[in-house]
Amino acid sequence: MKSRLRAENLSLGYDDRTIVQSLDLDIIDGRVTAIVGANACGKSTLLRGLARLLRPRSGQVLLDDTPMSHLATKEVAKVLGLLPQTPVAPDGITVGDLVSRGRHPHLSWFRHWNAEDKQAVARALEDTDTQDLLGRPIQQLSGGQRQRVWVAMALAQDTDLLLLDEPTTFLDISHQVELLRLLRKLNETSGKTIVVVLHDLNLACRYAQHLIAMADGHIVAEGPPSEIVTASLVEKVFGLPCVVVPDPISGTPMVVPAAD
Amino acid sequence: MSVTLDKRPVPEDVPADIVEDELQRQRRGRQLRYAGVTVALGVLAFGVFVVTMMVGSYRLTGEQVLRSIFGVGSTPEVDFIVLELRLPVATAGFAVGLALGVAGTLFQRLLRNPLASPDFVGVSSGASLTAVTGIVILNAQDITVPALALGGALVSSVLMYLLAFKDGISGYRFILIGIGVSAFMSGLVSYVITRGTLHDAREAMHWLVGSVGLSGETETRLLVVALVVLLPLTAALSTQLRSLELGDDSARALGTRVQLAHLALIAISVALTGLATAAAGPIAFVALVAGPVANRLLGPAAGGVLAAGFVGATLLMSADLVAVHMFPAELPTGVVTGLVGAPYLLWLLATSNKEGAGG
Repeated sequence: MKSRLRAENLSLGYDDRTIVQSLDLDIIDGRVTAIVGANACGKSTLLRGLARLLRPRSGQVLLDDTPMSHLATKEVAKVLGLLPQTPVAPDGITVGDLVSRGRHPHLSWFRHWNAEDKQAVARALEDTDTQDLLGRPIQQLSGGQRQRVWVAMALAQDTDLLLLDEPTTFLDISHQVELLRLLRKLNETSGKTIVVVLHDLNLACRYAQHLIAMADGHIVAEGPPSEIVTASLVEKVFGLPCVVVPDPISGTPMVVPAAD
Repeated sequence: MSVTLDKRPVPEDVPADIVEDELQRQRRGRQLRYAGVTVALGVLAFGVFVVTMMVGSYRLTGEQVLRSIFGVGSTPEVDFIVLELRLPVATAGFAVGLALGVAGTLFQRLLRNPLASPDFVGVSSGASLTAVTGIVILNAQDITVPALALGGALVSSVLMYLLAFKDGISGYRFILIGIGVSAFMSGLVSYVITRGTLHDAREAMHWLVGSVGLSGETETRLLVVALVVLLPLTAALSTQLRSLELGDDSARALGTRVQLAHLALIAISVALTGLATAAAGPIAFVALVAGPVANRLLGPAAGGVLAAGFVGATLLMSADLVAVHMFPAELPTGVVTGLVGAPYLLWLLATSNKEGAGG
């Protein structure tokens, strides 16, 4: 299995705290990978490290076998996109303007906005079903719509790899499912590699083909959800006694908390 | 934009070319408005620039002023009044306003907060401390005072940058530290003034209010040169600013070199604020007000740096016109900008808290 994005002996942290400890990881091309774990286990830190938002304490992140620190950040941005946990938008910005800014890495003094950019933005709007919102200020949208617009901006960047940091956090259950279906659809139609940090283990099992379970800055288990998610793993990662049953619709593992 | 797709009945699947056309139409609309508003503000600023040279103890017509500036068919008397007496002051007003407007909007957009103008986060107060120290304690004269002011602005900015630096610069941290530095410097300024003689203290107070009339030939020339060099650089950096506005994480993900862009933009703003303060003293509120006014005219999230500069120039020259000609005795420019700016600041504090804006 091929991996364009890899981590070698990667340690990450803030200030004097090391959060992720010498971790090795291959992100499998063309899959939806979900990173799961309890609060503060280092899953968002890992994602930020993979997206070069955090400088490694030691070790390195490799993109196409080249250490990311050796690559121009703009070149990385043409291959690797990221939707941060709490993106901010300037007051009153319209959906069209915002999504267009996703084209930033492709533009320069010598390469101005052209038909290719226009098409990429239109495609991103259609893929996320936000084309009807084009002229609307983003502040007026509902939480679900807004999150789809942010995904559209990341898609407009037109990268082979897309990283999303807890994109479902502020959404209700139907919008969470809607967003994950969208990610899965993008993966299936365009072969995009997607890495997503998720809170909800059941949704992760259902929509991701590959799972990375983390605890205390280490990877505890890794593999397809149906192979790795067991009651003992959930107990180990989340500290929750539980029963794992098959999801009645998809057959993927479903975690049910044990009797009180 | 008044026309939006969602107001019409939309078929299940809007064909791609319709979305592309609409996207392009809105993009063109934004660009046209941007260019139109910027040019209109430029014309307005130039208009006020000419007007400031028309009024005075000897009134001139606009035609006389223009003929004299461009050297076509003017008389020696008019040339003397315009070129020798009024043009230097008018140029100082234009340049100081332009510099403050540009510096203010750069800080506000960079730190994503309408309160984050250089006069609030310690740049101007650093200039004030050194300038007042120069006037009161060192009995500095002429060019020494502006030189000290520029030095003070630079030193306090470096201080703030170092204090706020923590894996890069974050908006709130920088603003809070800036306000702290500003309060500290103001305290020191008050102390220094109490140490001086009555005459020196008066002179210091006059400098602290800020006035276009203070500006000497050398300071104005330096500021104009800085504007000529830095404005094109700012235009080059404004694409980075469009991604920085989305937050540092998004900007980095979009391939912007966040720290480098921050440093460059802060350096430009500080240089412009420092030079403007060196020329005319710490004129309040122009830097704070210019950006938001320009943005209101440009439309949401358009963020025009040059437009903000023109608004700054227009505001400052108009304030100076009022200060010099509308009262029985000539007032410093800063008195008028303060009168206009203070209510705006109150309004800003009242409304931005309600919306939870900033950060």
